[in-house]
Amino acid sequence: MDPITFSIIRHRLFRVVEEAVITLKHVSGSAITNEGHDLMVSLYRADGSLLMGGVGFLHHLTSAAEACKAIIRRFAGQIHEGDIYLLNDPYTAALHTSDIYLIAPIHHQGTLVAWSACFVHVYDIGAMNPGGFAPDALDIFSEGFSSPGLKLVDRGELRQDVWDTLLNMVRNPEMVALDMRSMIACNNVAKDRMLALIAKYGAETVDAACRTLIEQSETLLRHRLRELPNGRWQSRQYLEVKGEIAKVVLTMTKQEDNLVFDFTGSSPQSKYSLNCTKWASLGGLFAPLFPLLCYDITWNEGVIRPITMIAPEGTIVNCTRPAPVSVATVGAIQSVNNAACATIGKLLAASERYAEEATAIWHANHFAIFMFGRNQRGGDAIGILTETFAGAGGARSFGDGVDIGGEIPNPISRMANVETMEATFPIRYLFRRRMKDSGGAGKFRGGTGGELAIVPHDSPDGGLHYVISGKGSKFPMSDGLSGGMAGAANDYVWVHAPGETHNMDRFAQSLDSIPGEREPISWGVYPLMGNDALYVRWNGGGGVGDPLDRVPEAVRRDVEEGIVSAEAAREIYGVVIAGTHLDLAATEALRSRLRAARLVAEAAE
Amino acid sequence: MNRRISETLELRDLEDGRKICCRGCGRPIAAAGTSWKPHAAFSAVAVATQPGAPSAVHPDVVHRRFSCPACGKLLDCETALPDDPFLDDVVSP
Repeated sequence: MDPITFSIIRHRLFRVVEEAVITLKHVSGSAITNEGHDLMVSLYRADGSLLMGGVGFLHHLTSAAEACKAIIRRFAGQIHEGDIYLLNDPYTAALHTSDIYLIAPIHHQGTLVAWSACFVHVYDIGAMNPGGFAPDALDIFSEGFSSPGLKLVDRGELRQDVWDTLLNMVRNPEMVALDMRSMIACNNVAKDRMLALIAKYGAETVDAACRTLIEQSETLLRHRLRELPNGRWQSRQYLEVKGEIAKVVLTMTKQEDNLVFDFTGSSPQSKYSLNCTKWASLGGLFAPLFPLLCYDITWNEGVIRPITMIAPEGTIVNCTRPAPVSVATVGAIQSVNNAACATIGKLLAASERYAEEATAIWHANHFAIFMFGRNQRGGDAIGILTETFAGAGGARSFGDGVDIGGEIPNPISRMANVETMEATFPIRYLFRRRMKDSGGAGKFRGGTGGELAIVPHDSPDGGLHYVISGKGSKFPMSDGLSGGMAGAANDYVWVHAPGETHNMDRFAQSLDSIPGEREPISWGVYPLMGNDALYVRWNGGGGVGDPLDRVPEAVRRDVEEGIVSAEAAREIYGVVIAGTHLDLAATEALRSRLRAARLVAEAAE
Repeated sequence: MNRRISETLELRDLEDGRKICCRGCGRPIAAAGTSWKPHAAFSAVAVATQPGAPSAVHPDVVHRRFSCPACGKLLDCETALPDDPFLDDVVSP
């Protein structure tokens, strides 16, 4: 095939995915989809292997491939033009039940030529707790509707019995129906554009281009791996639920053009729902691998071939049925993301050629806070605090991380504006801003996370409730690189004042000035009623390099902007600021003392 | 020829063999292809005492700091509970 035709087809495939994503967003009515971009669309070959990975949460790219293969196995001989299949069972391929895959075969002249697959986190899935994250769940059976594969659309006709059955099992069926229709529309657009591509260039030419594209990706990644040094690198993540501490431990070994991710040593599966299944772990390690090692390589089956994963069965990264997994995406999966990001960052930092691609861990600790109740118009409302998608950039080997700068596993993640949230829920924000001292210290500082506080406002019921889950607030998780420190940990505080207490300050501008009793929370269902307030802070990114090597003026500027405290400037960065001015002589003297203090520290062995 | 193995460490060929050295001052720390952290200057600081730490942070979790024994440059840092081993990163020589 001539290279120009190949290149055009490659770009057209990417545009097919892009247009399908736009369709998904336009039709869906959920903030988690439209604002948080908790979504994914990709194209797959006729055998279900990944052809063109799209944007959104990248840990779905390989899991949706497995979903396609599961559908191919289950419906062999019954897959027809115009069908659409649903799959959301985590023990088959999905990440958790509320991330529903809709998968559509693409036929050309009666022959299956490709698949389109997408997901959104649906408004509700009928789990114990509203919104899909179910901290109260004891097993998969209490985590809502779950299917290892069913036919939702048969030859272009919606199966009303299946549709009604699903919607009969969820809260807010109208919103779930809209989510489902957005995915049907998305798959229809992907199919139409694929068929238009085939009509223009011919099925054989497009098929050859797709085959070549996968071979090219494999060749390019193997070549890149051979350019990188051999070795092994380790990472460790701590998770905490109700006093139970779990670990995700990773040893990544790179030998020639192969990369092995070995999670041996990770904790046994938990009784809490932060576990993840094998397919979820595989997706979890690829989420940072795609952008960090394959930023200029098409994300497809060819990238998967050089990679091996070892995830011992019965552990938190490969749990066995019926262990609960509804919190997986903000639990073990994200810890796998983080661990893989850390080891890949170390690998890149070991290379002269690729050192500038190295990064500390970005936003490492999602929080799933789903509010539920009646809104100010009397209607039902369920939805996530989208600030969890706001993230924080990890520092790079050449510069600071971006403040509230997103996350590696989802290149298009973002948060809703305050006004959208206040229009959707009966709440009012007291403040939302960058969080001081949250970015990991380093020669290059991690991007800051943020902090916010909300109170009930204009609610017909005096407020609402929320489900909170995640990996807890006990441990920093955004590890630094090469001497850079981890970003600060998350924090969740329920400030509750008895009903008869008059809340004097309804415009408080800090946690300290919100009246009431403070209670740290991180798991369960809590009220936001009456005079309650909810304070949330989320982690910053990791730093890179020795904080004592940071340019003093950069530290002074951070202090001036309120994102680094004077205390941190002095104690961690060794920078002395007199008034608003740098004292360079005192800074140099202080840094010398701090370095000398390190030398008298105990020997590591 | 010097060859970097991280932002702060590099391999150097010295009279007594290939060594992992500090990129700041050149001080040899360990033999190439081995675990270097046991040979670094070590300190641990409780995360809870650091500026910006939330009140809920685990009281035992620390930032482990591995520094060059000669110039004091911070070579690596890891978050850990006391009973866990050092993260062992080994780059092939």
